[in-house]
Amino acid sequence: MSHDDPIRPRVLAIDDSDLVHRLLRARLRHERIDLQSVRTAADGLRVARETVPDLILLDIDLDDSDGFEVLAQLKADPATHDIAVIFVSASNETMDRVRGLDLGAVDFVGKPFDVTELRARVRSALRMQRLLRMLSQRAQLDGLTGLWNRAYLDDRLRKEVAGALRHGTPLSLILCDLDRFKSLNDTFGHPFGDEVLERAAAILVGGRAQDVACRYGGEEFAVIVPAAHADEAAGVAERHRSRIEQVTWNERPSVRISASFGVADLSGLDGDPTPEKLVAAADAALYVAKTSGRNRVVCAEPAEWPRQIAG
Amino acid sequence: MDSNPDAEARPPLHSAYENDPDLRDLVVLFVDELDRRVDSIRQAFLAEDVAALQRISHQLKGAAGGYGFEPIGDAAARLEYELLHDEAELSALAERVEDLISCCRSAVPPADH
Repeated sequence: MSHDDPIRPRVLAIDDSDLVHRLLRARLRHERIDLQSVRTAADGLRVARETVPDLILLDIDLDDSDGFEVLAQLKADPATHDIAVIFVSASNETMDRVRGLDLGAVDFVGKPFDVTELRARVRSALRMQRLLRMLSQRAQLDGLTGLWNRAYLDDRLRKEVAGALRHGTPLSLILCDLDRFKSLNDTFGHPFGDEVLERAAAILVGGRAQDVACRYGGEEFAVIVPAAHADEAAGVAERHRSRIEQVTWNERPSVRISASFGVADLSGLDGDPTPEKLVAAADAALYVAKTSGRNRVVCAEPAEWPRQIAG
Repeated sequence: MDSNPDAEARPPLHSAYENDPDLRDLVVLFVDELDRRVDSIRQAFLAEDVAALQRISHQLKGAAGGYGFEPIGDAAARLEYELLHDEAELSALAERVEDLISCCRSAVPPADH
């Protein structure tokens, strides 16, 4: 269908009664949502993990479990933690409502539904969910360059390291620092300094599709390079270095910029590999790049070379 | 408490939503299936299957009102309430069951247009 909106919010209804599913479907027919129905807690949890819907309508009295238990499990799993949950129940006990809200439900709809109220609460929960997502994403973006910020980098690097260790795949990290940035700022002013940061950021974000470019702070950037050993990551860094070196400004033809790069490979770390050690190794390599003349790429020395050959 | 002195003489029970185009077909289906539900309520009662009675009454309590049959939902709620109390007397229980059954039986589908 041509006017099918690809970003229709997805709603999952978990209720043991077909009567209720039919009713929900009829009552929410005109809402711009995709509604999926399951009848057991086990199916609900599985579908929630697989499809991560925007909203779950959760019955309290399920045959194989109760809604509180399902909610607790949803909240305990990082994959489903942020899904909005509305309790739907024929129970009018205030304690049930309080318990549900305390466990993290966003709202409560009593059965039998008042149609207008049901639609309004579903809309309101979806609206809130959308705003929260926008906020959380904005909180992870650097305002000036639009790259991911430091908070996101820390989080993402932790996940990438865990994933690389679990799957035995390579992972490298590039740290990049603009050369003599302070003097550019002092000479040409902060607005120009900001422009330099933006141009450099645009280059760093234009690497391989799977690379993750972040503003690490000040004039320092980080690029997570998944599925790459140091030599490949050094190639990525070298392309960035070369493109930054070629940046020119029409209104300031004499100005040239450059950047120094430190590259570290997870498999070259000493002892148990951690995100902190990976950053420290890249930082040490960056320091060498800075002190040995700038505008260059330096790879961290593998700690126990050639330990990869052993296994 | 006014109970139903003559349960069989109930007037026809119409859905509050029988003219709601979104719900009309579902109301027809709901009324259609009520016969089967009445059977299972009766069987559960005769078999003294409290868990089954609880499940059916709980589901009807939550859903019947949504189909526009609030009296059925109320009757189911009264039965569920009775079942939740251990000291429930069989005669009281029987009365609630009969009440719910006759209420279900009085439901009529939307008239054809």
